[in-house]
Amino acid sequence: MRAVAVVDGTRGGADAQARALGTFLREGLTGVAVDETVVLYHADDDRERLIELSPTRDVRLVRMAARCHDTAAGILAEMTRAGDLSLVLLAGGAAGAELATRVGCRTGGAVVTDVLDAQVESDRLICSRPVYSNHMTGRFELRARPWCVSVDPGCVSAGGPGNGGPGNGRPAAMEHRVLSEADETARTAASRFRDIELRPLPETGDLAGSRFLVVAGYGAGSREGVARIAAAAARAGADLGVSRPVVMNAWAPMDRLIGVSGTRTAPVLCIVVGASGAAALHWGIEKAGFIVAVNTDERAPILANADVAVVEEGVAVMEELAEMIAPRRL
Amino acid sequence: MRILVCFKVTPDFEMLREADWIAGEGSLAAGPGVQTRYVPRVLNCFDESALELALRLRDAAAGRSSAGPELSAVSIGGKEVEPFLTTLLALDYVRAARVDVGVHVDFAPATVASIVAAYARRVDRSDVILLGCRSGPGDGGTVPFRIAEALGWPCMTEVVELDAPPGGLLRVAGLADDGLLRVTFQPPCVLAVGNAVVSRLRVPTLRDRLARRDVPVDVLPAADLGIEVEREIEREPSRLIGLEAVRRARAGVVVDGRTPHEKAQRLLDDHLKAVIERL
Repeated sequence: MRAVAVVDGTRGGADAQARALGTFLREGLTGVAVDETVVLYHADDDRERLIELSPTRDVRLVRMAARCHDTAAGILAEMTRAGDLSLVLLAGGAAGAELATRVGCRTGGAVVTDVLDAQVESDRLICSRPVYSNHMTGRFELRARPWCVSVDPGCVSAGGPGNGGPGNGRPAAMEHRVLSEADETARTAASRFRDIELRPLPETGDLAGSRFLVVAGYGAGSREGVARIAAAAARAGADLGVSRPVVMNAWAPMDRLIGVSGTRTAPVLCIVVGASGAAALHWGIEKAGFIVAVNTDERAPILANADVAVVEEGVAVMEELAEMIAPRRL
Repeated sequence: MRILVCFKVTPDFEMLREADWIAGEGSLAAGPGVQTRYVPRVLNCFDESALELALRLRDAAAGRSSAGPELSAVSIGGKEVEPFLTTLLALDYVRAARVDVGVHVDFAPATVASIVAAYARRVDRSDVILLGCRSGPGDGGTVPFRIAEALGWPCMTEVVELDAPPGGLLRVAGLADDGLLRVTFQPPCVLAVGNAVVSRLRVPTLRDRLARRDVPVDVLPAADLGIEVEREIEREPSRLIGLEAVRRARAGVVVDGRTPHEKAQRLLDDHLKAVIERL
């Protein structure tokens, strides 16, 4: 049974992809060995770095045009057929889900996205993934091969991806071996996309790697309330995340969103201020080492899902707490 | 330009109590895993963005006095979908249809994609398919790409802005891993809407509703699209075989105190000192 991981270095985010794949190979996958990583890259400058990031020792390199998901899917589908691959493993998120789905469609395989764990049982793959807006975990049986799987994009161990300990998603130092190199840059399918422009998003720090996170919810009451929580978080040395209702009211930018449709985190400490704790938000913080909830509603689900709960007006408590924490963090 | 917006109506999962998340009996593939019959129905949030983005595209064209897109909407489901379709007709969607499949297709993404692709090709003759990037309860996010593969169209995902400059082009902004990607292209295409700031569908006025009250919602059996739904479900290459509630409960120790200051002090003294040491 042959299996490969794929790092797509043509679209950014290769470090996060490699971290998620590395953690998944060590902690999430049983019954099949993934021996090779296919690295898609565009710029020569990225080549060595991407090889070093690869979660397996053996690497196959494919140089291709940037951001051509259609071409990438075609290349991977051909490699899958030619190599008689049983499992193609990609890092999650929208781009990983796209490649997994397109490769699956073109090879007649089975696709499952955002997988938490997977094991081979009696010649079939059994995967778990969140369903029902993260209220339930579903187990899926993949019958047709190849199994095209994208892993949970937040596949990192508790304590954050940047904590330097084992299980942090970073592959251990290893001597990589390049098994093959292919140049597919000429294979740019006539793309319909024109005038492509990439505008970097405002720098908000690495929320996914935050060790101390404060999450502001709708209970902040206003843009000013969120700004006061943000100021208190900064004073305490914490990063700021927000819930979906906060973003939908334009009280904070989208790139601060925590949860199913935003960032998944695993901080040492997470303080949730004025959020009810919807399952979609909780998905983004459930790997936190310690959760504090501050909410005026004593029936809010977040209170039971936190280690410690404070029934009180959130902005006021957060400001008081920041003043007390700040001197300890100097 | 004909734009087909596909949407899903789902139970409002946040209305269920934690204790209600219990996997049901029987075949998971054939029926709902969780009892949600009595929960209010809502538009899937990403589909709601798609429906409003399409209306704004049409409004922008009208503001430029250029030919705007022709909007239609389709959903897969039973009668519970019809109030939403009626609302869309009142908002001047030209056609609003539901495809009646008679069985649950919540965990059958390949089947759903086949139905949408067939509707777009055979009935609507769409140039653009606009839909949310994922929807519950499956939340897999594969349907837009499956539709694109079935039709041989390009697909852009995580779309957050949409504009139609003159010349039959579309200008689209989508969130990529490393920034906001803006592209211009000629349809046909599939556009999967992500975390757009435009997130609420406008509400039609009573006048709007009365003006279009006689426009019927189209109801099509899936067989009319050449699709045998039960056979398609049987052919799904993956299937749901188990459900388990996510239990999130932690200690939930409540901190006492009379004022915010007192509570913050006790929180720090009794619970956070050791945690802060580890930061």
